[in-house]
This record gives sequence, structure tokens and C-alpha cells, in this order.
Amino acid sequence: MTPQLSSTQATSESVAKSALDLVHHAIEHAKHYLPTQGPIAVFIHHNTLHAFEHLPFDEAVLEGFRTYGSQPYWPESRYREEMARGRILDTDLQAVVLHDLGGSAANDVLAGTSQYNLRINMLRDPVLTGSDAELRWLFAESDAIERFRNGVDPMKRTEMIKATRRWIMRDLQPHLSDTEAAIPSSLKSVFEAFPMRKLETWGESTWQQLTLQLLWRVCQNGVHSTRPFSSPSHSFNRHRDVLLKLSHFDCDLQVHDLLIRFTSAFLDQGFAAWSVPQRSEGYYQCFLSLFAEKSPWTEKWLEPLKAIIASERQSGANPTESIVRSLAALGVSQNDFEKYIKKTLLALPGWTGMVEQMATNASWTLHPAPKESLEEFLAVRLILDRLAAKHCLDEHLSHRAIPLPDLLSIGSSSERYNPRRKTVQQRAFDLFQLAQRSAWSPHTLFTWTSAEWQNVVDAIGSFDDFERRRMFHLAYEYRYRTQMLDAIAEHSVFPLKMPSDVSVQVITCIDDREESFRRHLEELDSSIETFGAAGFFSVPMYFRGAADAHFIPLCPVIMTPKNFVEEVGPLSAKQAEARRTQSRMLLGIASKTFHLSSRGLMSGVLTSLLGSLNAFPLVARVLFPRLTAQIRSKFGRLVRPTVATQLRLEHAEDSETTDKGVEGFTLEEMANMIERLIVDIGMQDRFAPLVLVFGHGSSSLNNPHESAYNCGACGGGRGGPNARAVAQIANDPRVRALLKKRGLEIPETTVFVGGYHNTCDDSIEYFDIDRIPLTFSSRFLAAHEIIEKARRRNAHERARRFYSLELTCTDEVAQRHVERRSEDLAQVRPEYNHATNAACFVGRRGRTRGLFMDRRCFLTSYDPTTDDAETSILLRIMQAVIPVCGGISLEYYFSTVDNVGYGCGTKLPHNITSLLGVMEGATSDLRTGLSQQMVEIHEPIRILYIFETMPEAILSIMTRNDLIDRYIGNHWVQIATLDPNSNTIHLFQGKQFELYTPGPGQLPTVSDSLDWYRGWREPLGFAKVQSKGFVSLPKVANEVLR
Amino acid sequence: MILSSWIPLLGYITVFSPIIFLLVVGFQLLIGRPMSEFALGRWLKSAIILSLFATLAILAIMLVTGSRREIVDMGNMVAIDRVHFHFHISLIFDRLSVPMAILSLVLCGTVGAFALSYLHRDAGFQRFFLSFAMFLVGMVMASLAGTIETLFLGWELVGLSSALLVAYYQERPTPVANGLRVWAIYRLADAAFLAAAVALHHQHSEGNFSVLMGNEAWPAGKASLSEGTALLVGTFLLIAAAGKSGLVPFSGWLPRAMEGPTPSSAIFYGALSVHLGVFLLLRVSPILDQSALLSSMVIILGLVSAILAAIAGRVQTDVKSALAFASLTQVSIIVVEIGFGLRYLALIHIIGHACMRSLQLLRAPTLMRDYKTMENAIGKSLDHGSPWIIGWLSRSTQLRLYRCAIERGYLDSMLDACIVRPFIRLFSMFNRWERAWTQWLSGSHKVIPIAVEDASHE
Repeated sequence: MTPQLSSTQATSESVAKSALDLVHHAIEHAKHYLPTQGPIAVFIHHNTLHAFEHLPFDEAVLEGFRTYGSQPYWPESRYREEMARGRILDTDLQAVVLHDLGGSAANDVLAGTSQYNLRINMLRDPVLTGSDAELRWLFAESDAIERFRNGVDPMKRTEMIKATRRWIMRDLQPHLSDTEAAIPSSLKSVFEAFPMRKLETWGESTWQQLTLQLLWRVCQNGVHSTRPFSSPSHSFNRHRDVLLKLSHFDCDLQVHDLLIRFTSAFLDQGFAAWSVPQRSEGYYQCFLSLFAEKSPWTEKWLEPLKAIIASERQSGANPTESIVRSLAALGVSQNDFEKYIKKTLLALPGWTGMVEQMATNASWTLHPAPKESLEEFLAVRLILDRLAAKHCLDEHLSHRAIPLPDLLSIGSSSERYNPRRKTVQQRAFDLFQLAQRSAWSPHTLFTWTSAEWQNVVDAIGSFDDFERRRMFHLAYEYRYRTQMLDAIAEHSVFPLKMPSDVSVQVITCIDDREESFRRHLEELDSSIETFGAAGFFSVPMYFRGAADAHFIPLCPVIMTPKNFVEEVGPLSAKQAEARRTQSRMLLGIASKTFHLSSRGLMSGVLTSLLGSLNAFPLVARVLFPRLTAQIRSKFGRLVRPTVATQLRLEHAEDSETTDKGVEGFTLEEMANMIERLIVDIGMQDRFAPLVLVFGHGSSSLNNPHESAYNCGACGGGRGGPNARAVAQIANDPRVRALLKKRGLEIPETTVFVGGYHNTCDDSIEYFDIDRIPLTFSSRFLAAHEIIEKARRRNAHERARRFYSLELTCTDEVAQRHVERRSEDLAQVRPEYNHATNAACFVGRRGRTRGLFMDRRCFLTSYDPTTDDAETSILLRIMQAVIPVCGGISLEYYFSTVDNVGYGCGTKLPHNITSLLGVMEGATSDLRTGLSQQMVEIHEPIRILYIFETMPEAILSIMTRNDLIDRYIGNHWVQIATLDPNSNTIHLFQGKQFELYTPGPGQLPTVSDSLDWYRGWREPLGFAKVQSKGFVSLPKVANEVLR
Repeated sequence: MILSSWIPLLGYITVFSPIIFLLVVGFQLLIGRPMSEFALGRWLKSAIILSLFATLAILAIMLVTGSRREIVDMGNMVAIDRVHFHFHISLIFDRLSVPMAILSLVLCGTVGAFALSYLHRDAGFQRFFLSFAMFLVGMVMASLAGTIETLFLGWELVGLSSALLVAYYQERPTPVANGLRVWAIYRLADAAFLAAAVALHHQHSEGNFSVLMGNEAWPAGKASLSEGTALLVGTFLLIAAAGKSGLVPFSGWLPRAMEGPTPSSAIFYGALSVHLGVFLLLRVSPILDQSALLSSMVIILGLVSAILAAIAGRVQTDVKSALAFASLTQVSIIVVEIGFGLRYLALIHIIGHACMRSLQLLRAPTLMRDYKTMENAIGKSLDHGSPWIIGWLSRSTQLRLYRCAIERGYLDSMLDACIVRPFIRLFSMFNRWERAWTQWLSGSHKVIPIAVEDASHE
């Protein structure tokens, strides 16, 4: 080998190596943009635009639009509807435009018209636009140049006509017959259509017509010499995009049809009765072996696949090299690798994202995918892309004879049409409309210099569709924020609203859905005090119920539990229990057999011959869901474990310890957990005799997203076991002794009881009530009675949002209705989950107690007076509530503003696939996000946090925690603070806190919640509930926070 | 005697209450003043209950009087006496039609009630129920049809409403493309049906089943056709049935039809529409008796479809496609039963299967929960792995078979290659010829070439 040769070889090798690196790098880069929703059995709310959190919200949503093509805000028309119904006020628009422009608000675009005026005018009335053809039609066929637009102030109209008239009579009349240049000939042609000799006898309408026609002509002339305002275009084409443009044939349809079928088979978690052969060899190999053969009926575009697979195998069948080969065959230059790969991976985002999730984040599933699956997926996808593009060229563009590698350059050289760049006619029409509204008469416009024209065109162009929607969105948020902050400022005045003699304390999750439940409890009995803590109640664990197959984690997803807790039956009933387990198993096997055999060949015959028996459950379940559920539960009771189970919470000597964790907790750990819970919510110095802890969850039928309705703090699980564990631990005298040593004394006269609140049917279930000391029974029963009432009222308050129930119904009817909802197969809105969530209050309940917040506010208990100087409790709380509540708020935001792009569309055609997610109909991309039915009543705003603390504390926490800093600093959430000692509020604006001046508003006062929400379906404002029971205690001495 | 004089009235009620419902729904949409969901629900329920009770009353009367066949003549819709053509409408009540009509009404009623709340506040609520009403009328007509024309009328309504509901989400491309595919295959089936009807008319100058199948009540009738005619007519009818019921080679449309809202998938492709083809075979079963060759064709077609559907069904990973193939398996077995002359069994099979499958489809979205419940009861993960029989096959056979299953037996590409492409090619050729011809006629001798790509791609 000559040295020369070896050097070329070395270069080519290094080139190949760098190409491989580029591919790796590009995939790593593109990964972040894929949806991160995992298998649907565990649905965790998260920020849909997680990948863009490093950017400010306003930029991120635009970046999201460029990346996914999904809308950043609602359409302008929707905001206008909200304006029409009074949800956005004109004053809101003024405030946000003024604030947004800051110092430049008063800058003149023109003499007499400030930037602010121009923008407000553009927001108040829609600036219509259309294609040139539409505009031509408008001027030819409608009265656009005969009458002023609707909504133009009559005063301004008269003023404009008058000014024009003066101008013509005074200045133009003498020149009309001149041949030379006092008036441009284009204007003269306007006059030609009018009887100029009888000028003095014209009526109002003739002058109006002339004014408008002059205006239109002047606008056209003036705009002609301006440059359109242009924003950079970011479009990058894949082959499919170019082909779509050239041939109107979408080759992704073919590719996706096959790719979806294969990917879903590869990822299947045990739905198909026959899983794909060779699955263990990874995505790429599995594909190669399955498609290596050609059958006589292979679809035409796939015919060369056999040859390609053979050559792939020959060259070593390495997926990364295969990607490089495919990119070369497609003619993608190395510089474009990153963009091309990103765009390719985002062509089918749901499935691609799921491949990545299954490869990296799903070790707990039955069949996780191998680590490098995404790369292998891309290799396969590019092979198919190649085939489809080639086929499309041959089939539909054969007459142009374009070689495949040249396609991209053709695509990029063809005209780059930027839809945001306006044509002359469009620019002129913008001005024409604005001129009417701002009373710019033709003669003013006539005198503008070309620099002035350019100025105006730029000012209009820069305030484009997105900017206007951003303003509307800000105003929409502004309205709610103002209401909320004003209400808090007025309501949270000292003294704290505390029960005089606390008889019962109730701890629930911070969930917005518990706000009403807590309010009703407090209204019903003034001696009840409520607290909100993250719903896993500081007990992170793997839990397995007595009738469950697997342990599931019950804690926020960011934590990994270390302890296993099991629900076990009583020793005395061991045999009976074993029998039940046995019969459950038999029933389970029977139903599995039926499930499978009904789909089989011969076994299906038998099941379907007997199938007419199905008519009874079919009719019963559809027509009488609640009754059917009751009957089913009666029968189910025969095999359900006995009620007398308990949690095996404590670590025993002989307990198993695996690498995943240990069985049970030590006493020390238990004491820590209780201490954490009690201190975080600030309950340490006052214990009522009865403390109820309620976890929550939700159960509904025919709802693939059921897990999303459960407790987010329990990782999409049901929080009952955590509440039960808290009660069991806190009642343990040994734990109490340990706590006492640490200075936290739980009096002997206090009993904890755990419970579970089902937010769908508003049922409440208690645990271990047989272990409540008998001396406490009457107390418990009394509390139980109130809770029964409260849950019914809660159901009633919820029911006002359901259009299928009369507003005038009673509590009992509402209760039955929500029970029916949770059991109804035909119900696509079993409950509204977090829809309408808008705020999060972190502070003492005493400051918001008695404030009607319409189930829109997360309520976290936190006592600033007991926190240390570093506000370490607050930091801890913020670490949980900022990403969790923020994630919920943002997921709802994006799924609402673009339900098809960011959400998963309507639920009605959803089709569960591979036990991983839902498709729309027979085949589609895997749909992530929330469904239309979940968000239809939601108001898309960023969540408003109010922390009862000093602004400095938040600023200091921001410097200590990156994630919090990103969320707050980039305005993904809104932040305000409420002074612990007064009702002063600071609002985080820009980069700092500013003092908030509340408006003069007076909160309406009502005697109870019903009084306020009665007869109303829409979202409701705030009100002060002046229930009889409230006693205000004298101001508690507060330590000043530093 | 007096009792049976009620039958015509009841027969009219059975058919006209759905028709009135259809007209009401259509009219209110036409004048642009849609009624409330509640009001529409009341109309729907009344129409179905009225129709159902009328049918049940007829059944009761027939049981009391011991009659096994009642015919309600509704006269001619079109009559051209000169050429002896009449489009004759009549209803027949016998052991086949009465159970089928009751099944249709019960399922439509249940699924209708389901859809009333499932589609609550959906933008296409009215549109859905318009198609639903059309389907209901079609189903009742087809079940009770006493002449082949009446059956055709019902058959067409069912086909039209099915295709419209597949394409219910008209803003997305896939449902529309799939709807078109369903529609195209239905048209093929319709053409075969029409050909059969014309052939029958040609023989007897009328399409009355009582004349065609002899005067005995179903299933005993005897067709008055020669073996040759029976084979011809039977083959056409078999093609029609295969198209409507998704048998080989038309099976490709069935999983694609799962595009609409869940209740429409349940009622159409799980329960009723998919059985309409086999119902047709049952109705004309005396013709099958005439020709052994025809019967064996029916059996073979059924067997092939059943095996293919069973294999394809096993690899489906989404619940609706899996249920579609499961449906197809049973429908094919019903076809086999018909081929063997087991008519009562086939009827019972249809009824049982329709009920079971609609319940399964209606609760398909609850799959995750059902699996969890089963897992918990059994105490371990449900993993089916692979059927035992697969283990016996060699590796390459496994791969080939799996590939065939995942490609759904290559049926779609087969249809594309054998029917769609030649069809498009042929008509593009005609197009070219016609242009050349007209150009020549108009005197311009320069023939402008027309690109083949102008033709539809579907």
C-alpha cells in the first residue's frame, strides 16, 4: 500500500467517523424536542414545551410554533369572543399594551399617533386581511369603498369627510383640470368617476364615497414604495415537503402506515396475542429480518426493500452507518444533518417520542425497548423515506426526471414564500382600515413622506398576528390576576380567620379540586380547620394492595421510593383470605380466557353463540350505569379482600431487602416523615382531637386517561394508602415518643384517621376505623356526618359545570349524578379534572379561609412564621409546587390553545394501542397531551402563585434553585408574594418584584357558597363567604421574616 | 283472523317511525335550525321504541296465530308497465327477518342512547345522528325486505351512512381516505348486487322473494332457478356479500373503518353493517341449495376469510383493529355455516356475535383498566407471548406468516394491483383517446399529451 493511498483512506475513514459523530450528535440534539409522555397507564402532567424552558415564555411558544407548527395562543377570533362576553375588558388591553411597550409607548409612529394608539386601535377592531384575490373581490363587490367600516366612530367619520371636503374644495379644485403635476394622475382618475362640476351640491354619501376612494388610492400609492416588514423564515424542507409541493402526493402517508404498524408491534406491552418475532434483537434487526423477503403482493413502493436490506446486511447492518448511507442517498449534506434529522424525527412525534421513552424511561414496564432504539428507529425510517420518495418521483414526476439526491436543492431553490410577508394590496388594506379608525384623512396621508409610510408599514407589520394574540393573551391573564390579587388583598387582612375551638383538622391534597371540599367543610362547621399538603403526605413508598398484582410507586415522579409497603389481611382469617385470592384468580383467568377467546377462531364461535347473553349487560350498562355498578359491586364483594386488612408499614427483622429497597420503614424514618408533614403545613403547635387525612384519586370508565385524573403527587396513583399510612404512623405511640424528643408533641388526646376522597363520584372512604379508640367514636361519627354533607355539597358545586344536569337540582340529585358519571361507559367527561386551574396559594389557610375561589386554586399550607431564616421549608414546598402545579397549568394551557397540535384532540375516536397510548381512529400518530373534552372549559392562563412570604425570600430561592429560577425568571408561571404581616402584595414583573396596588373593588359578601354559585355555569369571580361560624382571633404574634 | 289484520298497520309503523325520524333530523338541519340534543334524543328514543314495539307485536301475533310468514305489500315505487318493470316495495315477516329487525332495533336503541351522551356537545352531533338515522332506516328496511329492490334500498342507505361515518372527522386526511376506500368497495358490492337483481328480474320480471324462493316460509323455501342461473346470480350475490361483510379479498376496509366515534364503530363494524352481507346470503339461501358448486364457493370463501382474519387479528396491537378482525373471523365462520346449510345456527350466531361485539367495542376505551383488573386478579402480568402453534413452525415460516399477518394478508395491495391500477389505466386511456378524438374533430391536429398523473391516486 502506498503512503498516498493510505492517507486518502485515512481521510475517508475520518470523514466517515465524523459523519457518524454528526449523526449521534444530531439525534442527541433532536431527542429533546420529542414529547416526553410515557405509557398512558401512568399519566404525569408536565410542561408540554419542556424542551424550551430555557427561553422566556413568549419566545418559547413561538419557537414551539416553528418546531411543531402548533399554535402559541388561541386564535384572535377566540379572544375577541372573550372580549365580547366581557372576559377581557378594554381597560385590560390598555394596561397590558402600555406595560408591554414600556418607555416606547408614547413614541410617535407619526405626528399625533403614538405606538400605543396604533396598537390599541389594531386590537379594538380586527384588522382584516386576505389574499390579493379576496381583496380585489372585496373592493369590486362589497361596499368597502362606499361606506365606512362598521364600528368607526361617527365623530371621526364626520371629521374625516369634512377634512377631505375642505382639502378638495380649497386645494385641489383649481388643479383638477391642469395637465401638469399638482395632483398625481392616479388620484385624478378617482375624480373622473364623480360629477366634479356639481361639486357644491353633493350630499353626504357622495362625499363619503369620494373620501374612501381617495383614501384607498392614497394608501395604495403610498404603500407601493415601502418594503414589507419581514421576519426571518425558518423553513427547512424534507424530501416529503418538496414532493408534496411538486406532486401533491404525501409520501409520509405510506411511510407512516407501515411504520406505525411495525412500531406499535415492536413496542407492544402484551396486547397482541402474537408478539413480533426477533423482538429481542432490537428495532433495526427485527425490521430487517421481518421485511427481508419479498412477497408477490408487496406494495409497489416497497419492492426495492429486499435489495436494500440485503445490502444493509452486507455492509454490517449497523444502524448509525445505515443512517449515514440513507442521508447520502437522499443527498443531505453534512451541514444539514442536524436540521434534517430533527425534522425527520418530528414528522411522527408521538410514536418517535414513545420509542425514546420506552428505551430510556420505562424500566418498570413489561417490555422496555433497548437503549439505542431511537437511532435504530431513525435508520429504518430513513430507509422507508428513501423508498417512498423514490417511488413518488417515479410514479408522479417521471416526466421531470429528477434524481433523488437533487430533490432537496430543487426544493430550496424554488421560491421561498413567506406567508407572513404581506403584499402591496394587503399592506394598503391594513392602512386603509386603520386610517378610518384613526381618522387619518386622505389629505394627511397624501402629505406623508416615503419615510413616514415606511414607518407606519413597519409599525403595523411588527404588530402582527402573533403579537396581537400575545397582547390578548396577556390581557386575558391580566383580568384574572387582577381579580385574584384584589380579592386576596381585601380578604387576607388580619386578624387571621381561624376557628375558635378546633374540633377537627382535615388534611387534604393541595389539589385545586379539594378547594371546594375544604371550603364546604369550613362552612358547615366553623370548628373545622383544613390544611393542604402534597397528596403523598411525605410518605414515598412502593405500595401493593391486598388484591393487587404489582407494587406501584406512590410519590411524585421526581422521587424514587426506597420502601415497600404491602396491604395484608388479618392473620386470623388467613385461610378465608387464601380462598378469596383463589377465587379471584379463577375469575381473573376466566375473564382473561373469555377476553382472548372471543377474538379467536373456534373458541370465538362458542363465546359468540352464547353472546346474546351479552345483550343484558349491554343494555343495562348503557341505560342504567349506576344501578348496574351497584349490583356488580355487590357480587364483587364476595371475592374482595376483607375490610380488616392493615398496612405492613414497619420494617421487621426478617424483612427482605433488595437492591430496589427494603420492606417497610424504620421507626426513625416514620418519625421523620410525620415531622416533615406536620412542620411543612405548620400544624405543630395545635392538634385537634381528631385529625383526618384524605388522599385522593378518581375512577372512571372508558377513559384511557384515567390515570391523569388521579393524584399528581402520587405519580398518577391514588393517594388513599398514603393517607392511611400517615394515620397509622402518627397514631403509633413509639413514633409519638420519638417526635416528643424532637420537640414535636402530638397530644394523647389526638387521633389520626386516614381516608380516601374519590374526586369523580365524590365518595369518601375511611381506613382502619375499627382501630379508633371507642372513646373517640362519637367524635368521629359527628365529623363523619359533616363530611357526608360536605361531599354532597361539593358534588353539587361541581355539577354546575356539567351541562347535562339542571342547575336547580338538589344535593342528593347531584350526588347521584356524579356517581352515575363515574360508572357510565358513555361518559367522556367523568369529571373535569384540573380544568380551570388558575392559581396556587401557598400560605396560611387563615388568610384565604372564607374566600370563594371556584375550585381554581391549589391551596398549600405553609406558615411563614415558623420557617427559618433561609426559608428552607418554603424552598422545599416550592421545589414541589412549582414544577407540579406549573406543569399541570402549562399542559392545560397548551392543550387548550392548540388542542389538535399540543393536545390529543377529541376523545371520541380514541383507540388504545399497544397498551401505551391512544391513536385517533384506525391508525394515526400516538396522541399526547390532553383531550378536547378535558380542556373544553379551561381558561388558558399561566398559573398565578401567591406565596405568603417576602419578595426577597423568593429571589433568594431563585438563586439557589435552577429549576425554580427558570420557571419564574422566564415567566412560565406568574408569581406574587403576600406579606406575612400585612396585606401588601408584590408582583414579579420583568426581572423583579414590584409593589402591587389593588383596585378599589369591593368583594361581594354571601352567606354561603351556594348563595354565590347558584344558577351559574360559567367561571365565577371571587366572593367572601360570611358563614355564621367564623370567629376571628386576635392577631397572632408573628415573628418577622428576614 | 282479526288479529292478523293488524299486521299491515304494525308493519307500516315499524318502517315509518325510523323514516319519520330521518326526515325530522334531516329537515331541521336543512332549514338550519337544529333542535336541542335533548329533543333529538327524545325523537330517537320514540322512533326506536315505537318501531321495536310494532315488531314485537307482529311477532306476538304470529306466535298466537301460528303464522310463519306475513307479507305487507306497500305497492310499487316505480312502475313502467310497458316494459314490465316495477320497483316493488314489500315487507316480509318471517323467522329470519323478525329476529334480525329486533336485533337491529335493540342495538340501534342501545348504541343510540350511548351516543347521545358520548357525543354530548360534540360539534358534529347533528351530523352524526343524521347518518345514524339513515343507517337505522336502512337496517330496518334491509331486515324486513320482501323484495330484492327493498333489500337493495336498505343496503344502499346502510352503505352510504357507513361511509359517511367513517369519514366523520373530515378535517383529517386519513378518515377521509379510509371513508373513500370503504365507499369504493361498497360500490363494488352494490354493482354486484345490482347485477344479481337485474338477472333475477330478467328471469322472473320481478324481485319478490316469495316468488323467487318459493312459497314456503324461510328457511324452507326452494328457489325456482335453473342451476346455471343460480350459479350466476349466486356468484354476484356472493361478491356483494363479501364486499359488505369484508370477506376475502375485501377484508382491508374493515380495520380501516374504525375511524369514527367509538359508538359508530361498535354498531356498524362490530354489530350490524358487517352482518348485512351474511344476512343477504341467508335471505337467498335457497339459491345456494340449487348449486353445489356455489355452496362450496361460499364455504371456501368463508374458510379462507376466517383463517386470514384469525391470523391477522393475532398481531393487531390496537384494540379496535383487533376487534375488527375478531368480528371478521366470526362473520366468516357464519358464512361457512351458511354454506353448509346450517341456517338457524347462523342466525343465532349472528345475533349472539352482534351483541357481544358491540359491548366489547363500546367498552374498548376501558381496556387499560380491564387489563389491570385481570392482572390484579391473576396476580401477575398478562403476557400472551405467542400462540403455542407458532412454536412448531420454522423461523423463516414464522417470519413470513407474521409479515403476512401484519400486512393483513396483502389484500389491499392486491386490490390496488388487480383492480385499482388497471381501472385507472383504462380510464386514463379512454381519456387520452377522447381528447385525441375531439381534437381531431375540432381540426387541430396537434395532439396534446395528457399526463397519466392527472388521474386519481387512490
